[in-house]
Amino acid sequence: MNTKLKVSEISKIYPGCVANDEISLEFGSGKIYALLGENGAGKSTLVKILSGVVRPDKGEVFLNDKSIKLNSPLDAKKNNIGMVFQHFNLFETLSVFENLSIDSDKKNEDLRLSVNNILKKYNFKIDLDIPVLNLSAGQKQKVEIIRCLIRNPKVLIMDEPTSVLTEQETEDLFVSLKQFSDEGILIIYITHKLKEVLSLCDEVAVMRKGKVVSVSKTKEEKIETLANKMVGENLSTIKKKINNFKYSEEILKISNLNFRSDDPYETNLINLNFSLKKGECLGIAGISGNGQSELFQILSGEIITDYTSIKFRDKEISKLNPRERREYLMAFSPEDRISQAAVPELKIYENVALNNFKSSNFFEKGLVNEQKIKEHSKKILSNFSVNTDNVEMKSQFLSGGNLQKLIIGRELITSPELLVCFNPTWGLDVGAINYIHETLININEKGKSSILISTDNDELLKLSDRICVIYKGKLSKIMYVNEVTPEKLGILMGGGSID
Amino acid sequence: MSFDLNFIGILIGAIMASSVPLILAASGELITERSGVLNLGVEGMMIIGAISGFALMVITDNLFLAVIGSMISGLIISIIFGVLTQSLLTNHVATGLALTIFGIGMSAMIGKNFVGIPGKEFPLLFVNLKENIPFLGPILFGHSVILYFAFLLPFLTNYFLKKTKIGLIIRAVGDSPTSASNQGINVTLVRYSCILYGGAMCGLAGAYLSLIYTPQWIENMTGGRGWIALALVVFATWSPIKVLIGALIFGGITILQLHMQAVGFRIPVQLLSALPYIMTIIVLVVISRDSRKIKLNTPTSLGQIFYKEK
Repeated sequence: MNTKLKVSEISKIYPGCVANDEISLEFGSGKIYALLGENGAGKSTLVKILSGVVRPDKGEVFLNDKSIKLNSPLDAKKNNIGMVFQHFNLFETLSVFENLSIDSDKKNEDLRLSVNNILKKYNFKIDLDIPVLNLSAGQKQKVEIIRCLIRNPKVLIMDEPTSVLTEQETEDLFVSLKQFSDEGILIIYITHKLKEVLSLCDEVAVMRKGKVVSVSKTKEEKIETLANKMVGENLSTIKKKINNFKYSEEILKISNLNFRSDDPYETNLINLNFSLKKGECLGIAGISGNGQSELFQILSGEIITDYTSIKFRDKEISKLNPRERREYLMAFSPEDRISQAAVPELKIYENVALNNFKSSNFFEKGLVNEQKIKEHSKKILSNFSVNTDNVEMKSQFLSGGNLQKLIIGRELITSPELLVCFNPTWGLDVGAINYIHETLININEKGKSSILISTDNDELLKLSDRICVIYKGKLSKIMYVNEVTPEKLGILMGGGSID
Repeated sequence: MSFDLNFIGILIGAIMASSVPLILAASGELITERSGVLNLGVEGMMIIGAISGFALMVITDNLFLAVIGSMISGLIISIIFGVLTQSLLTNHVATGLALTIFGIGMSAMIGKNFVGIPGKEFPLLFVNLKENIPFLGPILFGHSVILYFAFLLPFLTNYFLKKTKIGLIIRAVGDSPTSASNQGINVTLVRYSCILYGGAMCGLAGAYLSLIYTPQWIENMTGGRGWIALALVVFATWSPIKVLIGALIFGGITILQLHMQAVGFRIPVQLLSALPYIMTIIVLVVISRDSRKIKLNTPTSLGQIFYKEK
């Protein structure tokens, strides 16, 4: 049977943000539809509305030309709309079978039979009687999919399904999704990954700032055209100007950096020596786990090592803690936004205040000067184009890109002489990546220096003046970026040598 | 002192009786906590159950009404907790503590007129079997119906949680209320029900104290048993059977150390009095060392406030 799903003039407004603005879209079975947009474009809100988790302020949903009410997840189920959320809705401590049986009306024996049939049909390999917490992310997603399939869905919505999958798991998922589609299930695929849209989907709707800006056949699109629609402007191919750093003074000199760890999961660092000039960006490439996070923590002062000399602006700072280093105008943007750089449960201005230093005057006589912190935070939000001006908002409600802008902004607003950042654009969408890249180039042009530790080679080649590779805790020789090719980097990252 | 077999039987019977309020309250609290709600008001609900049971017995002269009434009053006071934490989204810990303080004060106020009134004899079952069978008689027979219920309860609770659909839903809500809500489960309703059930069981535990164990009203007569029950649930890692074991060990060592004090062992009294607490914790920690199992039994969302996205 053919399924037609239509959303008509859906609007949803949250305080300070229009998540969905008069969205109208039509879908028909037998095809895979992509809903493409940056983080925060409103895709997730729309699918939450379709799955009954969130109620729209305005608008209607039609299934086969009949208006349906989606006031709760139960309504979505009754209308055979299945949904796999980006963050799984599974019960970790219950077994796979218990997870499946919880919302099923079938008897346990019948349910087991139909689950086994699904497992066989789609070649899923999952033990039904082990707790979900023992499953890999890919397997958990399959459990979610099975949960939808049990109910013979007409519509299956997948919200950013590949963000937690390995490459092999992604391929398997695509095979399954095509199979579902051939069987007549209407599939709506939400993503911000352009390659996936082109390889999997038949049609694509692009969302930007809560609105649908384009609907087209994927055959007619290319990565560049989709990216431009998604970001809303022609993406400039940023190119770094060659700096005159060769003639400027040395700002940082590291000698005899050695680090030995008792923790088997940490990497020892062996005799690192390097220096950095004013206005220069030093890129450090490498496959993750080769000592990058240890190096970052030593630079930031989270780890203090003996016998290492770190000279910054002619001062020995190797024994200073992160806060004291900030006083000397160093700034740090760690790898993990959520657990290292910010406290998600705290409000935006509170997160800004965490980064206090003597000259900030955030605290007077032991009391918090809220007014000052809020003003300071507002300045960061507007200077670094974070898409909210509400400093009272909890940081966890910011999308990844906006949170990263906030963190970088918090670090840069004090005009530091050196910024050390670690995978600053990991997991972000094109627009946010571009913004962060422009910002990083900008600070070099102002004569400030940066160290960019990254696992993304394109990023390193784009932003660095000099590049070296870290492999098993050792640094390769440092090369000027015009001598470096992706092939050379690849050899060094794999432990080979070039000469 | 005669350590004959019959005496040991009587001793074990006494230990069983002393552990009944712990089993009842802990089993109730276990269900509440399994749904993700941390109610620290156990002591308060117990003592309200104790006074209302005793007062109803005095007023109506009907033990059945007294027992039912104590359960209802435990349930009513737990509604306060439910409304505050589930509807008004207050903090579980603070609300539970307030409930205990409220319960103790309230019971003392109501209880003023009931101090010194003698209790009524509670009917015991199979009394002649108790006297005629040596050793096993005092263990198995001559108890109140509530004791038999209490000893069945952990097994019923275990079965309920593991094998029934409602038990599954309670565990699911305790694991992840957000996921449960997205699956169409009414989290607030489930949690309310579990809170009320816990309240009723605590009320019953209180009634056992004031109607059967020491049939009279004494101010503050629960004497911290509610806190022990709370601790039992945690140290038994939310397993009903281990709650039973823990309650028996606690009851057992309490009775034994009293005998040791009476006999005059040369151990400081304070140390003897502390023994039940120490031993119970040690034993429960030792039998609950399987970290995998702990993880599976622990309600992940315990104490977290849940509110639905609108």
